[in-house]
Amino acid sequence: MGARTETNKGLEIEHTPSSNFAKEIEAEPGGEGISKCIQCGICTASCAVSSFSDRYRPRQLIQKIIIGKRDEVLQSDLPWLCMTCRLCEERCQEGVSPAEIFQAVRHIATREGHIPEVFKSTAEKALSDGWLLGDAYSDFIEDDRDDLGLDTDLGWDNEFTHRLKKKYFSGGEGD
Amino acid sequence: MTDYFVYTGCTTPVRLPAYEAATMAVLKHLGVNAHHMKDVNCCGAQYIESLNRSAFAAMSGRILAIAERFGKDVIAICGACSGSLKHVKHMLDTEPDLKAEVNEILAEEDLEYTGKVEVKHLLQILRDEVGYDAIRRAIVQPYNGVKLAAHYGCHVTRPAEIVQVDDPEVPRSIDDIIEACGGDAVDYAGKVRCCGGPMLAMDEKVATAIGSEKITNVKAAGAKGIVTACVFCNIQLTQVQFGEGGEPKDRIPVLTLPQFMGAAMGIDEETLGMPLNKISPDVLLEFAHRIESKVIRREQEAKR
Repeated sequence: MGARTETNKGLEIEHTPSSNFAKEIEAEPGGEGISKCIQCGICTASCAVSSFSDRYRPRQLIQKIIIGKRDEVLQSDLPWLCMTCRLCEERCQEGVSPAEIFQAVRHIATREGHIPEVFKSTAEKALSDGWLLGDAYSDFIEDDRDDLGLDTDLGWDNEFTHRLKKKYFSGGEGD
Repeated sequence: MTDYFVYTGCTTPVRLPAYEAATMAVLKHLGVNAHHMKDVNCCGAQYIESLNRSAFAAMSGRILAIAERFGKDVIAICGACSGSLKHVKHMLDTEPDLKAEVNEILAEEDLEYTGKVEVKHLLQILRDEVGYDAIRRAIVQPYNGVKLAAHYGCHVTRPAEIVQVDDPEVPRSIDDIIEACGGDAVDYAGKVRCCGGPMLAMDEKVATAIGSEKITNVKAAGAKGIVTACVFCNIQLTQVQFGEGGEPKDRIPVLTLPQFMGAAMGIDEETLGMPLNKISPDVLLEFAHRIESKVIRREQEAKR
């Protein structure tokens, strides 16, 4: 985004983003809607996380992208706090999806090695085991399944996820 | 009639096997041809989804391709899985390059995604395939007007244009099924808000606060129990009632939809896995005919 000058009754205000981060997000799948944001704040008003967290504010995070705070946003864990419940997306009258925009941010952050530890370890588990709960599947639970008449052999495949790991995550950082 | 695979996802078989058992029992009872699915993998929701779009599309894409290979459609019972499978189907159906990339990986197993497979959440099967009239006919032990709160699950109903399950802000399907089973579905503040489950990994305190607020709102509306359509929501809304200050007597049962329906359809409690529920559902089941007679008998004995 280049410098933009708005004239209002002779008053000149210059908006100059400190980087072209918004353009970068716009070019990433999911980030297309960022330029439509009018900063009304209905996303934050609708957000269950914002109700109980004193630091997560989707409107503010989108504003940071628009004004070009690339490093700050990519290195922060804030974009990873969106639960993708999509209530804000439902309510946004401009058709902006903060959930999709923050997914785009996460994809760029991943390529640059900024992944919260819990995302990294959980993704690692999914790729190595083929599913998420291999460690939690105990004998007790097997007995419960047996009592319920359910198969105790869950039959998860991990050969495919091993191939995906090699293809997409060979750098160890997700790309 | 359509043949279905039930994709359970990672969580249900381990954390809530009763949901799986009740789903199979209720679908069978209602005449839906549903089969277990094997040799599948995690759908990639949230964790792979957040890191790499192509890998995510490949993980859910493989599940869809396996269903295609067997000529079956997919029933998902977890909000995250149904959301992922539907979202990836939408991506693959609208992005030819992505579809080609995924199919190139799938070809190593002789699998191909063409797009003919359909993905339905359990709620869609119950409403659209079975229908409310057939559900009403299957009810032998109605709940006799007990007040219940429906919790839908964000990924079950949003984004509405992709998942196509219900109205994203004023959903009705669980409420309608509660009423078909003889319960009284109540509205409550924040009905379509999240349970907080997806936040557990990043901030447990915030996750618990979100879930606890929901429980408070449900109780304020006078509901005696909650009916859910997602494994994560069910576990989260149960678990938050065991936190600090959560007195046992104040806990309200959280039933998965098929457990709730199955009891009214006369399916026995063991088959539905009711004894495994962390919060006993007896307070709800006593409203159904079968136990109502016990209630009356107890009252009569007390009078004597």
